[in-house]
Amino acid sequence: MKKIFIGVAFIAITLTACNNNNNTTEEKKNSDTTHMAAMPAPATAGSSVKDIVEHYLHIKNALTKDDGKDAANGGKALSDAFAKFDQASLTAEQKKTYADIVSDAKEHAEHISMNADKIAHQREHFETLSKDIYDLVKAFPAQQALYKDYCPMYNNGKGATWVSETKDIKNPYLGKKMPTCGQVKEEIK
Amino acid sequence: MRLNKKISLLLLFAFIAIQLIQPARNIDGQVKAKDISKTIGVPERVNALLRTACYDCHSNNTNYPWYAYVQPIGWMLNNHIRNGKQQLNFSEFGSYSLRRQQSKLKSIASQVSDGSMPLSSYTWLHKNARLSKEDKALVIEWAAQAKDSIATRN
Repeated sequence: MKKIFIGVAFIAITLTACNNNNNTTEEKKNSDTTHMAAMPAPATAGSSVKDIVEHYLHIKNALTKDDGKDAANGGKALSDAFAKFDQASLTAEQKKTYADIVSDAKEHAEHISMNADKIAHQREHFETLSKDIYDLVKAFPAQQALYKDYCPMYNNGKGATWVSETKDIKNPYLGKKMPTCGQVKEEIK
Repeated sequence: MRLNKKISLLLLFAFIAIQLIQPARNIDGQVKAKDISKTIGVPERVNALLRTACYDCHSNNTNYPWYAYVQPIGWMLNNHIRNGKQQLNFSEFGSYSLRRQQSKLKSIASQVSDGSMPLSSYTWLHKNARLSKEDKALVIEWAAQAKDSIATRN
């Protein structure tokens, strides 16, 4: 009987402890994010707009090959790049633009990374992410030649845009089904 | 037999013990200025649908069923609500950037239209949260319109 009581007490204590742990990690996470928002990230090992674009293109290229798993890898890398973004060199105006874009784009990157087996869902998030990335490269000096492409067929004919590093069309929305559907709308310099 | 008895006793005690750990309730009790209905236009009918079908997990006010007070079910629900609010919180909608608000409205329309929301595990237990075809159309049309009106405001 004594053993039972000890057992129950042990379980109760562990559960309470677990509960508390959860709370503290959550609080810590919250304070970390406010901390990060308030202070520029340290200059060392921070990521740049170039990194963000690179990981976006990783997702884009994976989607052109209908490869949801690789798109998820790109999504993970992109959300990490957002988390480590180095704002030190940005002007106040740029910081505002970046904050607006990242408030939305980060979530799309996360969803793409979590839905490796649902490529249609990944593409939905990719569509909005593409708008965010387009605004980002328009607001920040381009580091490479980029193109804004347009696919008129996606989303039941509503159409969608994406950003590409090549002049040739490789469609990330329709993938292997219609790889060359679409057109270059703008050369982003 | 004696061992079995000990084990069932132990489980019973454990069950009673965990009832002592009740997570904080997600009940704010009021509609704050950041609520979606105060931020963008939400027709009364749509607002009612959102409240019955979405607000339990996507707002600061959950209407708890009785079994939420029984652990470990309550913990599971708590987890669920925390995740739901992280993705979309109608009570905090006004604090989102306009860009994020548009994204959320787009996702609302697509999730409702493909039936991934409200969750089938939720509607299974909350029959009144099931959206009819007309309800769905209403929510989808509202979300699309609201998104466009934010886009033009931007």
